[in-house]
Amino acid sequence: MNRILKTTVIAAAVMSVAGVAQAREQINIVGSSTVYPFASFVAEEFGATTNYPTPVIESTGSGGGMRLFCNGVGEGTPDITNASRRMKVSEFERCQENGVTDITEVYIGSDGIAFAQSNENDPMPVTLEQIFLAVAAQVPQNGDLVDNPYTNWNEIDSSLPDREIVIVGPPTTSGTRDSFEELVMEVASEEFEEYGGEEYSDVRTDGGWVDGGENDNLIVQRLTQDTTAFGVFGYSFLEENDNVLIASTINGVEPTPESIANDEYPVARTMFFYIKNQHADEVPVMYDYAEMFVSDMMIGENGLLKDIGLIVPTADAVEESQQAVADRAELALEDLE
Amino acid sequence: MQTNQLFLIFCSVLLLLGLAAFFAGRSKATRVRASGTSMYAQPDQYAWFAVVATAGPAILVSALGAFVMLVMGSEIPTFPLLLASLVVAVVGLGIGMVLIRSNFHARQAIERVIVWTLAGAATISILTTLGILISIIGEALNFFQMHSFWDFITGTTWAPGNSFLAAAGRGDGSGAQFGSVPLFAGTFMITAIAMCVAVPVGLLSAIYMGEYAPAKVRAVAKPMLEILAGIPTVVYGFFAAITVAPFIVDVADFVGLDASFNNALAPGIVMGIMIIPFISSLSDDVINAVPDTMRQGSLALGMTKGETIRDVVIPAALPGIISASLLGMSRALGETMIVVMAAGMRPNLTMNPLEEMTTVTVRIVAAMTGDLEFDSAETLSAFALGLVLFVVTLSLNLVSVIMIRRFRDKYRVNNL
Amino acid sequence: MSDSFDQISQQLKRRHRKSARLKYISMGALGLAAAFLLIFFADMLSKGLPAFQQAQVNIEINYTEEAATNGRAAVDPEIMSVVSRSVVRVIPLEMRNNPELLGTTQNRWVLADGPVDQYLKGNRVRLDDEEKATIDQLVENGKVDMRFNTTFFTRGDSKMPELAGIMSAVMGTVMTMIVTLAIAFPIGVMTAVYLEEFAPDNRLTQLVEININNLAAIPSILFGLLGLAIFINFFGVPRSTPLVGGMTLALMTLPVIIISTRTALRSVPESIRHAAFGVGCSRWQVVKDHVLPLAMPGIMTGSIIGLAQAMGETAPLIIVGMVAFIPDISASFTEAATVMPAQVFTWSGEPDRAFVEKTAGGILVLLAVLISLNASAVLLRKKFERRW
Repeated sequence: MNRILKTTVIAAAVMSVAGVAQAREQINIVGSSTVYPFASFVAEEFGATTNYPTPVIESTGSGGGMRLFCNGVGEGTPDITNASRRMKVSEFERCQENGVTDITEVYIGSDGIAFAQSNENDPMPVTLEQIFLAVAAQVPQNGDLVDNPYTNWNEIDSSLPDREIVIVGPPTTSGTRDSFEELVMEVASEEFEEYGGEEYSDVRTDGGWVDGGENDNLIVQRLTQDTTAFGVFGYSFLEENDNVLIASTINGVEPTPESIANDEYPVARTMFFYIKNQHADEVPVMYDYAEMFVSDMMIGENGLLKDIGLIVPTADAVEESQQAVADRAELALEDLE
Repeated sequence: MQTNQLFLIFCSVLLLLGLAAFFAGRSKATRVRASGTSMYAQPDQYAWFAVVATAGPAILVSALGAFVMLVMGSEIPTFPLLLASLVVAVVGLGIGMVLIRSNFHARQAIERVIVWTLAGAATISILTTLGILISIIGEALNFFQMHSFWDFITGTTWAPGNSFLAAAGRGDGSGAQFGSVPLFAGTFMITAIAMCVAVPVGLLSAIYMGEYAPAKVRAVAKPMLEILAGIPTVVYGFFAAITVAPFIVDVADFVGLDASFNNALAPGIVMGIMIIPFISSLSDDVINAVPDTMRQGSLALGMTKGETIRDVVIPAALPGIISASLLGMSRALGETMIVVMAAGMRPNLTMNPLEEMTTVTVRIVAAMTGDLEFDSAETLSAFALGLVLFVVTLSLNLVSVIMIRRFRDKYRVNNL
Repeated sequence: MSDSFDQISQQLKRRHRKSARLKYISMGALGLAAAFLLIFFADMLSKGLPAFQQAQVNIEINYTEEAATNGRAAVDPEIMSVVSRSVVRVIPLEMRNNPELLGTTQNRWVLADGPVDQYLKGNRVRLDDEEKATIDQLVENGKVDMRFNTTFFTRGDSKMPELAGIMSAVMGTVMTMIVTLAIAFPIGVMTAVYLEEFAPDNRLTQLVEININNLAAIPSILFGLLGLAIFINFFGVPRSTPLVGGMTLALMTLPVIIISTRTALRSVPESIRHAAFGVGCSRWQVVKDHVLPLAMPGIMTGSIIGLAQAMGETAPLIIVGMVAFIPDISASFTEAATVMPAQVFTWSGEPDRAFVEKTAGGILVLLAVLISLNASAVLLRKKFERRW
């Protein structure tokens, strides 16, 4: 008898635990892994400086984020998605089909890809074409495409040093790799008519290119110890380690926050997040989060995100983003085309 | 009203009904008994029977409803479903009460329900295996529709590059190559290094503990090996990446060799250390199970202790030792965290353990965590790799089980 | 007889030498394993112990009018550079939540900035000589001091190394393990009881048995794929939550619990069952009232070991998304969470070098928990072990 009562009490307790945590103050965010460090920084700040819970951010990739975001409205779909590129027309149309019709696009800044080596070496300025020829799986030679024969930099261009080509870069699953292929490989391949005008982005697999893996500490270690190697990574990572690494200029432009923000530096990309306005009633807090993200404190001239590697937008662009959040400006198809 | 609250209310009502059934059933049984009729079971057993009759069908109905909703995708509104279940509960309560009679075998009825419940629990493990198979095979088939199975098994280039672009919305993914040979080469290389560490050390430790060690040493050594087995793999991975790999690079530099920081040696060695306890503990059991009469016979013929161990004990225990090694090997093949943290990402077909290599599990993790859409070929390739991994480890396990069974039958040992 | 007596005795000597050699080699193998364990723990301790110390500064916080909007106004600008931003940023919130603070001044020990902490621990940092001199000066004045790092045990993850703690991961582990045990323990024990006490010896039972042994040896990452495909994609369990993580780990722990429970049940002598049958117990009553209570210590031991194993598992949790950035400490089954080994994994990938120490510190905590769990299992076994 006693035992039965006890069991009942326990069962009731378990059920009440399962029943708590209903009202949603927590924002659900998905999207690009490139934006992730910045978004999670803002999220932490948001959680620490307000009485709301910290938003949950999941790094799903830009494409994956868009897919989840456009799955529909309501419970189980994210409120905000981050992207390291603009929304594509096809994605916008899919959103519309699934009833996600009121979206606000917010621009938050840029990121550049650095091409760097140990600072024990002399600086080595390169061009996009030279990087391409060092990295591509097949390169043009005498009008034909052949397997990449280059093992040393001076074989590509005699002005470059006689140094073995070793480039440590992000693996295919990383967003930085996507950007690298888009901004370096495809752009450069268009310069060579042997590819027939097609965008070529295959990376050699014979050892000249080394996939760096997830552990960034090891990439730095590797670059400091293996002084022949070059590394490819996000600009933020270069800033973090500028005491041991030096960046190469690309097409004569040094990667600096300024050169990336004003698009002089050839390998830079823009970052956005998208708000699902139809969740405004359900999760009103998300506008507070968005406001904090575009505030001067975060992405202003001396914003905090600058410290962790964001290339902040110009003052005008910051104001535009703030305006967009305040107005909940609705994204239209024409904006994307 | 939200689903969760509905569910909560449903549970509490069901709980109350169950309590009501218990007390009503007991009082009725007690009454019948007090009236002098002898009954087949105790009042409490009738009470429990009433509870089972009330809650059982109701839970079944709601579970079935939920299942139909999920599988068929048909929308059954939650409220009517739960209400229907409660109605069923009340009906069940009524029937249960009617059934409480002096000539009803309540104990047997409960027991039948219990046995069926237990058997149901036992099927969960089968369902798990089936679940793994279905989930992996299903997605792997999707993958093999995009890329041919033959290329996957025999191709020597793993270059998913273009499929990644397709996922990002550019290109059609046609140039991607999914030849898994370099991945399996890396996996087997690291496994081989691990086995080179684990088998000798594990086996010799087992021999020492089984044949030589005084009880005191055994009392210390066994828990020590158990600690080795209890260290989480993520910790081993950190150790391999931060401490062992740089050390190997330094040593290689010292002797004039060129080693990558993501070399295969570091994860291999650390994985070997991780497997030592698996091999030593099973080998120890097997060596202990070799009948003492065999040792006595050998010693009586004038063999030294070393010769007895080498020529009598080990051969007798061999099936068990091989089985232990195979189990260790299957663990090494499927080990994930050590290689994710310490091995490379580059599919590399080489025999040089100082170069970086990647493994099947590294690729699975990379495909599942990266910037990828779920239906991209690279993500699905994780399931294809998982399928092969499953088949390989499964066959290793089966061979291992057969070997140990042979050993057990030969020496009639029951505790293995 | 061609062999002379001398030859034979020499041969014998050689044989004994060989025999002794095997003994020393095998002893060496065990020694090697022990040596590794020592190196490993020494390495982890040397890397991880600094994480339990944290530089702190003694500052005056002036809750002025201005500080209500800009936290920096509350702190002396001269000392500002060594104070962690995590302290200043919450001042406006503090004042909003507690208006009485306005106009008061508090003297407090607060977290120092990350680089200060690293500098005092003797690690390489990006501080110029002037900044280093300032810190040295403050240390001399007793304004900056190394203290026990309570933050590490009370806070969740953070992007700022000085503020990062393991508590949210501990909470996540607790919630995940509750789910795991709630599923694996009853099902595991029920399966074992069925197989040992009720099941008829037919093909189906044998299939279940083989299947369980096989399940115990399936690579853990495949359970992650199952969790993703079945629990998340099919049943719609929310990603990254203790619920889905716990369910996945439960399936993995199941075979461990089943196998140890069966061993425990088997060790209960038949005579007990016969006696119970003899006084008229039904099969279930025999099991429930006699066999199970006697086997309980063994079952508990097995379950604790299985739990410890699940607690250290990371690979399947990566696949179901439990490697997440979780600054808040929340006890919920359905919100995103992370667990201790996943936290270790996340930290090990942080580019900031200060996180190496956090990683090793997290590892020490994890190992302490696991070793005490296993030790309690061993004690339990010792205390209640019964030889029949």
